[in-house]
Amino acid sequence: MACLFFAAALCAVAQGLNPAALLKPPTNTWPTYNGDYSGRRYSTLKQINSSNIGSLAPAWAFQEHAVPLKCTPLEVNGILYLSAPDNVWAVDARTGREIWHFNRPSQGDHLASRGVAMYKDRLYFGTPDAHLICLDARSGKAIWDKQIADVKFGYYLALAPLVVKDKIIIGTSGDSSDVRHFLEALNPETGKIIWRWYTTPAPGTPAARTWPNTQALLHGGGPAWLTGTYDPELNLIYWGTGNPHPVLAGTGRAGANLYTCTIVALNADTGKLVWYYQTSPHDTHDWDSVETPVLFDADFHGKPRKLLAQAARNGYFFLLDRTDGQHLLTAPFVPTDWALRINAKGQPIPNPKMEPQPDGSVVEAGPEGATNWNAPSFDPQTGLFYVNGHVGYSAFYLRLGPNGDPQGHQGGAVTPLVSHAFLEAIDYRTGKIRWKRCEEDVSGHPGILTTAGHLLITADVSGNILALDPATGKTLWHRYAGGPMNSSPMTYVLDGRQYILTAVDRMLYAWALP
Amino acid sequence: MLAELAGWLGAAQEPGRQIFEQNCSVCHGADANGGAEGPSLIRSALVRHDEKGNLIAPVIRNGREGKGMPSFSLSEQQIADVVMFLHAQVEASDNTSARLPSKDYALKLLLTGNAAAGKKYFFGRGGCSHCHSPTGDLAHIAKKYAPVDLQGRFLYPSGAAKTATVSLASGKTASGTLVYLDAFTVAIRKSNGWYHSWPRASVKVEIYDPLAAHRALLHQYTQADIHNLFAYLETLQ
Repeated sequence: MACLFFAAALCAVAQGLNPAALLKPPTNTWPTYNGDYSGRRYSTLKQINSSNIGSLAPAWAFQEHAVPLKCTPLEVNGILYLSAPDNVWAVDARTGREIWHFNRPSQGDHLASRGVAMYKDRLYFGTPDAHLICLDARSGKAIWDKQIADVKFGYYLALAPLVVKDKIIIGTSGDSSDVRHFLEALNPETGKIIWRWYTTPAPGTPAARTWPNTQALLHGGGPAWLTGTYDPELNLIYWGTGNPHPVLAGTGRAGANLYTCTIVALNADTGKLVWYYQTSPHDTHDWDSVETPVLFDADFHGKPRKLLAQAARNGYFFLLDRTDGQHLLTAPFVPTDWALRINAKGQPIPNPKMEPQPDGSVVEAGPEGATNWNAPSFDPQTGLFYVNGHVGYSAFYLRLGPNGDPQGHQGGAVTPLVSHAFLEAIDYRTGKIRWKRCEEDVSGHPGILTTAGHLLITADVSGNILALDPATGKTLWHRYAGGPMNSSPMTYVLDGRQYILTAVDRMLYAWALP
Repeated sequence: MLAELAGWLGAAQEPGRQIFEQNCSVCHGADANGGAEGPSLIRSALVRHDEKGNLIAPVIRNGREGKGMPSFSLSEQQIADVVMFLHAQVEASDNTSARLPSKDYALKLLLTGNAAAGKKYFFGRGGCSHCHSPTGDLAHIAKKYAPVDLQGRFLYPSGAAKTATVSLASGKTASGTLVYLDAFTVAIRKSNGWYHSWPRASVKVEIYDPLAAHRALLHQYTQADIHNLFAYLETLQ
């Protein structure tokens, strides 16, 4: 009898997620947005590999009947957890059958929900009206619901929260009014705030001098659109911040505008800033630096390093030492002409002539920059960093009111001219492009997964799910799945069988060997 | 529909705008986004949380002692008009899209180039006259499009479909409008209206892009070329 009780208790724990398990990279499961803390989206699984990929077949499909999926599902102990704005689903990872569905209609921006986070037997989910909801993972019933920020100012939560030890870490999104954004750590049991870090500096501090005045700083933007990464050894979380506000008009915010368009390293326990690196000082093109700061350990110039790499929306690839933020490499990964030069710190400095102008300024860049929220991947077997994005041309207009102030939150407008999609493999040591695939006149946001099976899983923006040779870019397998994959693939093993999941429109497809 | 709605909103907020200008703009600015004395009302939590005047009206009636906000003796209707104006200002500030400047974008903002230099570019370096004529296809072009659309369209006119010639293994060829092209499949619509697709690996595909010259120019233009060319095209009334 005691034995039975013990077994039952073990089972209850085993169905949930012990946060300590995240400190070592998981192998068979996908328990966080990026699969593990590194943000590499590289899986050690290799049952599905380059020699048997030809026989990959659909295992099941789940249709959610709501809105297109832009999330990465979690997989923990045989259950998938996925989200869309206002919605969370628990799905049987073996069969694709729905276990429960949580729905909470809300006001606010319904652009995206990138996923959920799990802590013990609870899930955490951000909403379009900037609430964080704690759900019972067994039933999908809400345990608590906490307002994080004011939806009337356009705040919402798009990112998948990140669990670090005994904290839930989130950040605010929003693109409709000039506000100050922040990252925040909460107690997973109670929702109580443990720390908050604003993405623009405290008035009166040295960094505040990168703004002309306190009002500009307090409405300076810097949203956190995506989930950050974490190094347990250094106890640092790494987050990319978004663009300054007003978006396209820099006239009222002379200066570098810290800490917008910046990669920041914060102490996970205190939320204190340890180092920062600004990828786009004084941005006026809406080129966030929120793209995943990917962590890996590798040689650079013959020396082993703890590295951080980011392919930023401004078109530049950055390599830093993540212990102290030391800059190692800046290299453009697309042709672009908005920067005048690269300064001594490796930062691209904007060319004032290429900033938005009342008569229009034509810039070599797609309307949303070189890349966006779709996940990149780093494959330690090839040493290559993979990113999907766009090249092209856009006309940037500056809109000023009668008194010379920026008109509205955007402060301008963009006419997209031409936009071509690409997938690139970047050599992290040099920034050189090792291989590239292109598609003309189309756009989309497929993310990337690499695996120890010598596979790169992604989709082209025409809707073909792809398995490529990560060393060469050669197509090994492809299937048209009925719509665009504007999400990032993930993988797990269940009952000894490896599954690869791709969310296409409102469908979640599981692929496996027959 | 959107234009109608915008027009209706514009008209509805007009009485409020006048009352605001007479009473409030001295401190809060003509656009309500702050002035020398008073804060931005677009960035005001009270304004954003107001519903039909429930929060704004008492402040107008009673003022805010100690904060320099006097009370105003406006009628209920006048207050309601100001409330509507303020909500419209917030709406305009928050929801004006960054995508595409509006059609009423002022010509004088765009007209910074030199028309004579633009004409020279059109017939010379730009090579525009190889395909276009100011008295032929481009006659009265400036009347046809709103200025900001004209600029967008000469930079890259959308809508001109590519055509493709597909050479089959049999030696036959098929030509038509390109419907679809990815790494694996090519599809065309023939002149008889029928759709055909082929695996790309089994055929040879040649694409003709009627906009190739526009694409090539994007790599060559200086900002001055663009503004000069626009100034010239704008003379084609």
